[in-house]
Amino acid sequence: MIYLDNAATSWPKPPGVARAVSNALSHAVGNPGRTSHQRAMDAALLVQECRENLAQLFGVTNPLRICFTANTTDALNLAIKGAVSPGDHAICSSMEHNSVWRPLTALQKRGIEFSIAQADPLGVVDPASVERLIRPNTRLIVMIHASNVSGTIQPVVAIGRLARDRGIPMLLDAAQSAGSIPINVQTMNIDLLAFPGHKGLLGPQGTGGLYVSERVDLQPLKEGGTGSESNNPQQPACYPDRMESGTLNLPGIAGLNQSVRYVLRRGVEAIARRETRLTQRLLRGLANIKGVTVYGPALGVERAPVVSFNIHGIDPVHVAAALEKRADIACRPGWHCAGLAHRTIGTAETGTVRLSPGPFTRTAEIENALTAVADAAREVYKS
Amino acid sequence: MASCLVVFASLNQVALLKRSLYRMGVFVEMQRTPHCLSTTGCGFALRCERHELPLLQMKCKELSIEPGGTFEETRQADGPHYVSFNASELGR
Repeated sequence: MIYLDNAATSWPKPPGVARAVSNALSHAVGNPGRTSHQRAMDAALLVQECRENLAQLFGVTNPLRICFTANTTDALNLAIKGAVSPGDHAICSSMEHNSVWRPLTALQKRGIEFSIAQADPLGVVDPASVERLIRPNTRLIVMIHASNVSGTIQPVVAIGRLARDRGIPMLLDAAQSAGSIPINVQTMNIDLLAFPGHKGLLGPQGTGGLYVSERVDLQPLKEGGTGSESNNPQQPACYPDRMESGTLNLPGIAGLNQSVRYVLRRGVEAIARRETRLTQRLLRGLANIKGVTVYGPALGVERAPVVSFNIHGIDPVHVAAALEKRADIACRPGWHCAGLAHRTIGTAETGTVRLSPGPFTRTAEIENALTAVADAAREVYKS
Repeated sequence: MASCLVVFASLNQVALLKRSLYRMGVFVEMQRTPHCLSTTGCGFALRCERHELPLLQMKCKELSIEPGGTFEETRQADGPHYVSFNASELGR
C-alpha cells in the first residue's frame, strides 16, 4: 500500500508506539487520580510525562495547562464554547474545518455572533481583513493554522499579534500542523491551541489536546469526576482537572507519549523539510499531467503536506478508486469536512482528491502515485 | 528523621512536582492525602524529608502550584500524627 492519507490520520506509527499502547493495556492497570495504589501512581506519572513532552514541543512553560481531549474536534469545541457567552462575537476564517464552523453556527442560537474573514482563492487570509471584523464585543479569534483541503498556511503570527494587542484570545486549530510545522505558543501569541494526537504527532486515534494559557478564562464544557476535590460540588479551578472530567484514554496517551518523544528526537523542522520535499515533488509532477488542476498555494510556496487536485471531468471518488485499484494508493476524495474552505477555493461543487504524505513516505511512493494519476487522466482523455 | 507531607488539590500537580524534583535528584513519594488532612476530599500529597521541604516549596512557587497545607508526620502507636507547619517555618 502507498499511504497518502496522513491528513486524515498518520500511518505508519513510529517504532514503539504500538508496544506502548499494548504495555499500557497489559501493565498500567490503574486509573490516575482515582486510587492510591502504586500502579495508578505510575499511570499518573506516564500521563504527566506526556504532558511535559507536549509542552516542550509547543513551547508551553506550564505543562498543567495542557488538557487531554479525544481529538481536535473535542478540543475546539471545548475552547470555542468555553470562551464565548451570549452577547459575544467571534471571528474565524473562510478556510475553517467544520469543527469550527459548526460549533460557531450552533452558538448563534445562544446569542453569539460570528464573522468570517474571507480568504483569497489560494486560501490565504489577510490579517487586515481579520482586524476589520473586530468589534468591541469580540471575545475570540479562531484560525486554522494549515488547511486540511489546500495545505495553505495562514499568517498566524501576524493575526496572533493583532489579537494579543487587542486583548482577544486567539485559538489556533493545529489539526494539520502539529508535528509537521513548528509551533511555539509564546512567540506566536497563541492563547488556545487545539491539536490532534493521531496526525502529525503520530500517536493513536482517540488522542488530542488543548493548551489553555493563563490569560484565558475558559468555562468547562462538562463537569464530573476529576479525582480531585471530591466533596466540592463545583468543578475544580486547577488545571488540567478543570477541563478533564472523566477517565483519560491512558493507552492512547501512552502511545502518544512515545510518538511525541519520536517527534522531539527527529525534530519538527527535520520532519517539515522532508514533508516539504515530498509535497513539492508531488506538486511539480501533478502540474505536468494534462487535465489535472491543483488547488492552494503555488509551487515553491510554503504549505502543509496536503495536496488537493481534480482530474477534469472525473468524479474525485472515481479518481480515488482508480488510484487504489491501479497502485494500491490510499487517499481521500470528497469535501474533507470543510465546506467553507471548498467554497473559498472554488471546489464546492466537486470536492477534491487529497494526497497527504507523512514523515515515513518514500520518494518512490510519490513517483508511483504520480504515474497512477497520469495513467488515470490519460485513460479518460483517450476515451 | 522527620517526614513531611505536603498536600495538594490534584494528582496532576503532584505528578508534575515529583517529576520536576526527580530531575534535580530529589526523590519524593506520591500518596493519597489522609482523610484527616483533606479539606475537599480526594487529594494527593508528596512525602519528603524535612530538609527537602524548601526545595519542594521553591518548585511550587516556580510552577505556580499552591499547596493545601504542609504537615510534619510522626509515627505513634495509634498511627501517624500530623502537625501543621507555619509557612514561616519552612526552610528553617
